[in-house]
Amino acid sequence: MDYISSLMPFMLEGTVITLKLFFLTLIIVLPLGVFMALARLSKFLPLNGLTQFYIWVFRGTPLLLQLLFIYFGLGTIGIMIDRFSAALVAFVLNYTAYLAEVYRSGIQSIDQGQFEAADVLGLNRWQTMTRIILPQMIKRVLPPISNEIINLIKDTSLVYAIGISELLRVAKIAAVRDAIFVPFIVAAVFYLVMTAVIQQTFKWLENHYAYYR
Amino acid sequence: MHILKATDVHKKFYHNEVLKGISMQVKKGEVIAIIGPSGSGKSTFLRCLNRLERIDRGSIEIEGEYMVKNGPEGKALYSPEKDIARIRLKMGMVFQSFNLFPHKSVMENLVMAPMLVKKTDLKEARETAMKYLEKVGMGQNALSYPFELSGGMQQRVAIARALCMNPDIMCFDEPTSALDPELTGEVLQVMKDLANEHMTMVVVTHEIGFAREVADRVIFMDEGVIVEEGHAEDVIIHPRQIRTKEFLSKVLMAR
Repeated sequence: MDYISSLMPFMLEGTVITLKLFFLTLIIVLPLGVFMALARLSKFLPLNGLTQFYIWVFRGTPLLLQLLFIYFGLGTIGIMIDRFSAALVAFVLNYTAYLAEVYRSGIQSIDQGQFEAADVLGLNRWQTMTRIILPQMIKRVLPPISNEIINLIKDTSLVYAIGISELLRVAKIAAVRDAIFVPFIVAAVFYLVMTAVIQQTFKWLENHYAYYR
Repeated sequence: MHILKATDVHKKFYHNEVLKGISMQVKKGEVIAIIGPSGSGKSTFLRCLNRLERIDRGSIEIEGEYMVKNGPEGKALYSPEKDIARIRLKMGMVFQSFNLFPHKSVMENLVMAPMLVKKTDLKEARETAMKYLEKVGMGQNALSYPFELSGGMQQRVAIARALCMNPDIMCFDEPTSALDPELTGEVLQVMKDLANEHMTMVVVTHEIGFAREVADRVIFMDEGVIVEEGHAEDVIIHPRQIRTKEFLSKVLMAR
């Protein structure tokens, strides 16, 4: 018990880094993904093509590779960027690509009649999207979005590779230093608590949107 | 003076020509029923009137203004977008599948477009909405959500929603086809009431009885052309064309 409490200051520091990366990524990618989905659905071919290419590249390569590429790769061509910013850029680029596809499937699952009804009532494209389509889309994508967000909290552990002391890296350092397994168990409990909070949040959101079918 | 005038309307889906030169003129206060077998192009024609589908050739004129007319190369040329937006507001549309907004209450469904498009203030929009909800017998359900209502009730709300935009012409695309048989009556009754108040109506329908009783004129379409048209009584009781006779005997036999 004393050992675990002696770990806590480090573990909590690591958790703060993990949560910082998590929340910053989240507040950027949740809205950015919507715009990317709309670009992906655009009838303007250059924009549509560019978006498809972007999604292909960032879903088609490992996040770890993207992380290394952005941090070390940019360094070699003289663009210096601090570790945390590099991590944030990589996470935003990667997760926007995934969320764009989730949102796209949500938008495309909305019945064509909804677009037509809005159209004949005189709503313009922006009003149709913001008032009719996106609010219905959000309800439908909640389950896949919660998947992505749970992945995100776990993926934050990848930033150990560029030397950021997030939760798992801190645990590993302690485990190696003290030749003991306990720090990993503590880290696992931390992750489980965080994912439990995410799950509960989405349960609440799904209930919130249950007022209509 | 014709309130709606479509001339020589042609429409292709890829290589499939679904409208092969349809012309129709509607006077103010007239009720037109368009009947015909499925695949005859009747719904497509109605959708073209509202530019839910674009036509390839021909012209459509509403209250003396062209929405689309033949350009120099014989191809349909649409008016500028802002004119079309204004012209389209003169037409209300009711769909087979209701298309109410499921995430909005009945009242919100009704006030949304007047407020967003016509900039009506909330109080006035609500009063108008209540007036039309009472009219379609749905005054008690203003706070319901669409999923709580039967198909017939949803369709009556959809009619009220279209009326809230104060259109001069109401278009109905098979408004009772998605309903259980026992629910068609309440929707047809609302439409009859509208007809009695001299609303101009274009109704694509399979309800031959309704067409006969309510329509001033019946148009029978088949394979992208108008085969026969005239007074409801003439077309339905004394059809002249073989195709009309065949269609009517099939439809009436099924009853």
